[in-house]
Amino acid sequence: MQNPYIPYPVIVDKIITEVDTKDIKTFRFKFVNPEDEQKYAYIPGQFGELSIYGKGESPIGIASSPTQKGYVEFTVQKAGVVTSALHEMEEGMMMGIRGPLGNSWPLEFLEGKNIVIVGGGFAFTTLRSLINYMIYGDNRKRFGNITVIYGARNPGLLLYKDELIEWQKRDDLNINVTVDKGDATWKGREGFVPAVCKEVAPSKENAVAVICGPPVMIRFTLPVFFELGFSKENIITSLEMRMKCGIGKCGRCNVGSKYVCKDGPVFTLAELDKLTPEY
Amino acid sequence: MEKRLIKKDALAGIAKKMAGDLLVWAPVKKEDNVLFAPLGSGDEPFFAYLNSKNAPKNVFFPHTETLMKFTRTPKGMVFSSETNQAAQSVLFGVRPCDAHSFVLLDKLFDQEKYKDGYYIEKRKSTTVISLACVKPPYATCFCTSVDGEPVSAEGADILLTDIGGDYLAEFITEKGEKLAKYFGETKADAAADTKKSEIATKAKESIASKIPAHEIKPILDVNFDNPFWNTIHGKCLACGTCTYMCPTCHCFDISDEVKGSDGVRIRSWDSCMFPLFTKETSGHNPRSSQKERWRQRAMHKFKYYVDMFNAIACVGCGRCVMSCPVNIDIRKVVEDISKL
Ligand SMILES: Cc1cc2nc3c(=O)[nH]c(=O)nc-3n(C[C@H](O)[C@H](O)[C@H](O)COP(=O)(O)OP(=O)(O)OC[C@H]3O[C@@H](n4cnc5c(N)ncnc54)[C@H](O)[C@@H]3O)c2cc1C
Ligand code: SF4
Ligand code: SF4
Ligand code: FES
Repeated sequence: MQNPYIPYPVIVDKIITEVDTKDIKTFRFKFVNPEDEQKYAYIPGQFGELSIYGKGESPIGIASSPTQKGYVEFTVQKAGVVTSALHEMEEGMMMGIRGPLGNSWPLEFLEGKNIVIVGGGFAFTTLRSLINYMIYGDNRKRFGNITVIYGARNPGLLLYKDELIEWQKRDDLNINVTVDKGDATWKGREGFVPAVCKEVAPSKENAVAVICGPPVMIRFTLPVFFELGFSKENIITSLEMRMKCGIGKCGRCNVGSKYVCKDGPVFTLAELDKLTPEY
Repeated sequence: MEKRLIKKDALAGIAKKMAGDLLVWAPVKKEDNVLFAPLGSGDEPFFAYLNSKNAPKNVFFPHTETLMKFTRTPKGMVFSSETNQAAQSVLFGVRPCDAHSFVLLDKLFDQEKYKDGYYIEKRKSTTVISLACVKPPYATCFCTSVDGEPVSAEGADILLTDIGGDYLAEFITEKGEKLAKYFGETKADAAADTKKSEIATKAKESIASKIPAHEIKPILDVNFDNPFWNTIHGKCLACGTCTYMCPTCHCFDISDEVKGSDGVRIRSWDSCMFPLFTKETSGHNPRSSQKERWRQRAMHKFKYYVDMFNAIACVGCGRCVMSCPVNIDIRKVVEDISKL
C-alpha cells in the first residue's frame, strides 16, 4: 500500500506567470514515473501537497482537470516558506506532490443541474478545474446551463487569461468576467462580484451555486444567492485551514468533528451550518 | 485462555530475559521519575511504580520521528529513502489506562482510508503487557469514568495482576501467547481467578475520583458559544504540557531539516494549545486566543472524538491534572460543563 506521507516525484515541466504582479504562477508537473499518473487520478475540487524537500509542503488545490492528460497543474500565490521556494523553481527541476487529497466538487450531485460558478481572486483555481471538466467533449451534455462569474481586483490579476477568452467564444457557456477597477485597455465589466451576481441573477431552478473566493467576497455574495432563492443545500464552497498531514492525522485542520483535509475541503452551506463556526 | 502464576520477585527477571531476545520497554527509574525506556543489559526494571511520568505513547508515536530522507541533486532535492523501522518489541508493565489509550490511537492512525504505516508497524511488532492497578495509584485517577478499569485487559496482549504472593498472567491474545514461554510453567487454578475478580472489584470501587464524562456530549453539542468557555483559560500559559503528557493526544507537526546535501523530513509532537498551531500564512487564525484552544482541547476529547470514533479521547490517567503548572483540572472542566 502506498505510504500517504511520501510524495510522487515530479518534474517541473512548465511555469506560467499568471498575473502582472508576478506573485501568482501556474506550475505544470509531469510524473517522473509515468505509472504514477494513474495513481494520482483526481476529481476537480481535490488538492495536493506540493513538496519541496528541505523546505516543506503546502496544500494547493488542483488547477488542471482530469481531462487534461499527461500532467497536473497547480496555481500558487507566493506567500511563505514553501510557496516562495516554489516560485524560485525552474523548469526541469524535480520535486514531489502528494495526493490527491480531500473530497471533491460533488460531480454526481451536479450532473443534470444548472451550474453557477462564482470565483474571486486566486481561489478560482479548482473552479477552473471544474469548468474545464464540465465543458470537455461529451461531459458538457451531462450538465445544464453553466454560468460563470469571476472577478479580480484589476485586469492584471485575472488568472488563465487565454482560457477566459476561449470560454467566452463558446455559446454553451455564460461567462461574466469582472474587475473591481479596470484600466485603459479594459473593455469588460467593472464591479464587485456580489453586485455582478445580482445583475446576472441566475435562476435557482434546478441550480447549484459553487462559490469560492476571499472571505469578504463570500460574505457579500451569499446574501445575493439567498435572495435569489438558493437553498443552503444548493450552495457549495471550499474551506481553507492550515494543514500538514492532509490525511486527518496531525489534528490541525478540524472544524468541529470534521477534518477539512480529509472530510472536506468541499462542503455545502447546509453541512457547514452543522459544524462549529471556527474557520 | 492460557493463564499462569509467577512468583512476584520473578517479574524483573522475566523482563530482563526477554530483553536478551527482544527490544523491551519497561519502567525504569530516571532521577526522580519513572519512565518507559528500552531495557539495557545493566538496567533494572522498576515494577513497584505508580504510573510512569510520561505516557508510553512514544513507543508507537515517538516525540520526533524521521519519515523519509532526501538528498541534493543538480535538479533539486529528491527523495532518497523511506525510514520506517519497527523492531520486535515488548512494552512491559504498562498501566491499563495507558493500554486503553493505544486502542483509542489505533482508531485514528489505523483507519480504512489512510493508514499511518509508521505507527501501525510499531504497534504490530509490539506486544503489550499490562500491569493491573490493584491499588489506585493516584487520587487523580478517574479511569472508571472514561470506560476504563484499574484491572482491565483492554489494549493488552498479556495482563498481569498482583494477587498476593503471585502475579496472575493472563494471555489475552495470540500475540501474548507467543511470549508465554518466558513465564514459567505454573498453570493458574480457579482460586487465582476468584482472587483476581475480588481484587478487580475492590480496585474499581476504590477509584474515588468520578466525573460525568459520558453526560457532557449532548451538552457540548449545543454549547459551542456558551460564555462558560471564557472561564477556563484565564491562567493557562499555553505551555502545551497537558497535551504532551496525554496518552491520547496525537497532534503533530511535519518539518524538514537539511545538513549539507542531505536532509530528513520529520514529524514531532505538536499541541493545539500553541497559538501557531492553526495560524495561517495570511495571519488569519481560526483559534485566535487561548479560549478557543482550550475549547478545542475539551471538545476534541469529549465531543469530536466521540462523533468521529464513538469513543472519549481521555483514559483518566490524571497526568494533565498533575502536570499543569497552573493547576487547571480537566475533571473540574467536565464537571462544570455538566452543569451548563
Ligand atoms: C485545501 C487548500 C487549498 C489551497 N489552495 C491554494 C491554491 O490553489 N493556491 C494557493 O496559492 N494557495 C492555496 N492554499 C493556501 C496555501 O496552502 C498556503 O498559502 C500555503 O500553505 C502557505 O505555505 P508557505 O509555506 O508558503 O507559508 P508559511 O507561512 O511558511 O507556512 C508554513 C506551513 O504552514 C501551513 N500553512 C500556512 N498557511 C496555510 C494555509 N492558509 N492553508 C493551509 N496550510 C497553511 C503549510 O503547511 C505551510 O507549509 C490552499 C490551502 C488549502 C488548505
Ligand atoms: S486528558 Fe488528562 S486525564 Fe485524560 S488521558 Fe489525557 S492526560 Fe490523562
Ligand atoms: S498544562 Fe495547563 S498551562 Fe499548560 S497548556 Fe495545559 S492547561 Fe495550559
Ligand atoms: S492536515 Fe493533518 S489533520 Fe488535516
